[in-house]
Amino acid sequence: MGETQASEYRGDIHRQQRDLMLRWYQRLEESAHGGPPAVSLMISGNCVELLEAFGAVPLYPEVNALQLAIRHQSLDPILAAEELGYAADNCAYVKADIGALVKGITPTGTELPVPKLVLCNFVGCNTYVKWFEHAAEFQNAPLAMLDVPFLRTAEPRAEDVAYIVCQLKEIVKQLEELTGRRFDYDRFREAVRCSARVEEAWSRIKHLARRTPTPFDAYFDAITLMGPLYVYRGSPEGVEFFELALRELQEKAERGEGIYDQERFRVVMEGPPPYPFFRTFRDMFAAWKATAVASTYSTVGGLWEFGFRHDPDHPFESLAMHMLAHNVTNRNYLQRYDQIRRYVEEWDADAVVIHFVKSCRLFSAGQGDMRGYFTQQLGVPTLYVESDLEDPRYFSEAQIRNRMDAFFEALEHARSTGTLHRGVAAIRHAPGGEIAPAASDRLKILQ
Amino acid sequence: MRIAAGVDVGSTQTKAVIVGEDGGIRMLGYALVDTGANVQRAAENGFLAACRESGVEPEGVGYVVGTGYGRYKITFGNTQMTEISCHARGAHYLFPSTRTVIDMGGQDSKAISVGEHGEVLDFVMNDKCAAGTGRFLANAAEVLGIGLEEIGPLSLRARHPVKITTVCTVFVESDILSYLAQGKKPEDVLGGVHLAIARRTVSLARRVPIEPGITMTGGVSRNTGMVRALEEVLGAKMQVSQQAHFAGALGAGLFAIEKMGESFESGIWRASNATPRG
Repeated sequence: MGETQASEYRGDIHRQQRDLMLRWYQRLEESAHGGPPAVSLMISGNCVELLEAFGAVPLYPEVNALQLAIRHQSLDPILAAEELGYAADNCAYVKADIGALVKGITPTGTELPVPKLVLCNFVGCNTYVKWFEHAAEFQNAPLAMLDVPFLRTAEPRAEDVAYIVCQLKEIVKQLEELTGRRFDYDRFREAVRCSARVEEAWSRIKHLARRTPTPFDAYFDAITLMGPLYVYRGSPEGVEFFELALRELQEKAERGEGIYDQERFRVVMEGPPPYPFFRTFRDMFAAWKATAVASTYSTVGGLWEFGFRHDPDHPFESLAMHMLAHNVTNRNYLQRYDQIRRYVEEWDADAVVIHFVKSCRLFSAGQGDMRGYFTQQLGVPTLYVESDLEDPRYFSEAQIRNRMDAFFEALEHARSTGTLHRGVAAIRHAPGGEIAPAASDRLKILQ
Repeated sequence: MRIAAGVDVGSTQTKAVIVGEDGGIRMLGYALVDTGANVQRAAENGFLAACRESGVEPEGVGYVVGTGYGRYKITFGNTQMTEISCHARGAHYLFPSTRTVIDMGGQDSKAISVGEHGEVLDFVMNDKCAAGTGRFLANAAEVLGIGLEEIGPLSLRARHPVKITTVCTVFVESDILSYLAQGKKPEDVLGGVHLAIARRTVSLARRVPIEPGITMTGGVSRNTGMVRALEEVLGAKMQVSQQAHFAGALGAGLFAIEKMGESFESGIWRASNATPRG
């Protein structure tokens, strides 16, 4: 293990994303003082385009929670929520958000508005139902539930799509009443068109990471870009930002620049990061010149690198498709297995790293089996570490560092003996020498 | 003869091994000291004691690999490696047929899948919880007022081991007290404690998964009751060396010999580097 190299890429896009996020908080403060209406949404499979049609600002409790964590401010609100009676193993995002609401804490110190509507676009995570109910209660704001059926089959059923479209249209009526603004269908279609362009740029950015060396880290750097992705996806600012990001990273790729002087290990990341120790965690990878070439967490808001785009010719239906099938949290576990496997194969990875989040059942339940699937059935080296995405008390630095170092020591040894394989070869060298069938083949039984 | 050392600074105890290479590789001597609060001092004391034990001058040691939680505090060490790699390597040296290592230490228990050359193929460890580790046993011994060395042999006398339902190192105390209040014999309570830990450890180990050629390492390997309980739950015999406690330090010493070949630096130990005694 050599000297740790800084792994963070700092280009124009990093400055711009910070400005965009601060601008978002300013807009939210304006909203608190009679400016544009705000609507709370959950990130996963969100319908931000609908809000654009009303000139409304999205308010994402998750973004606030993670911003608190990354600024080392999450413990106070978590403790405040625990004093209210939230249990130790409740989702720490929920506790940070509710605690912050109760204590009046905001990540940037700017004021946050009371949303005109707390819109729970329930996608995959049932904890969010309770979270948004509580958020509505504590803010004395109206609540609406968008009931998105879990993706039970490989493709969504037509009746599921119709069910969601019908609900979205009800939400439109509700928003017209609550905001006093007319739904602007042209503006809605324009927002969907912007989203499709952002998704195209974002997808191309993701595909740049298939190169060796990868020009950016598709976990840590991707997370930096995810704020604007959620807040600005359906807006011209979003299009401008992501097309600039694509150009900047494309140029970096064409110059053959990687993250380190020499990229040693390419990993696929599964699970959200430990936000309270984001830098510490990143440096553990940097110590081994290991870089993430793909990550499932960066597909929580939407899974676009495999081709799905919002469609301005079918705006409501494409919103429904996005919510049902094209974000990682509403997809079933076997589809997640296949997503990771595709990353290993097509993004040329050596290994998988799973970060288990103690307080998140949605993302973490089943990751022990997932580890078993990759190590034992596919023969891909897979590391499993545990902490939390929001609660700093769950991060044990010595333990995590120990596992990381041991894992990369083993990979280094395997490379020196010619037994570490990359990409498709990693799967082809699965125990037994046979190519394992895709996990989701088992899904056919369900159809 | 080329001489190198491995120093394993564990949470409870520090182990040091001196290894010599002269045609073949031999363990020249080893030493064990309590880690205590001063990790740096413990590493030095362990290293110096192992040198004395081996009849080797500290200055004659060409390369030192540190391992264990305190590895970054070993100021006189050349490099550090995790104890996972080191236990695999050490266990493989002690028993070349090793394919699975079960290591139980003061605060860690881990299972390592080992390749035919002693390399780590996969590993799993306990997380955030001392259940299934030496600390669990130490707490049980303390509640019963029995010495740590005695609990293993005593547990072997259990005829009706109690069922310990908690796996929490702290709450096990109240479980034990309630069994004692019911008039259960200490050996039956201890039998239950050992089985509880063995079940937890084996369920952890099954995730690697367990291949024949199981070697136990770590301080708890000296507990005969624990070895028996693990074998019972595993349904297989384990290989346990007299030096199993030193497997991590031994592995570090073996890596040190290897690394010496890459960059030899004699006289790594300098008295001036030592922590001031006070």
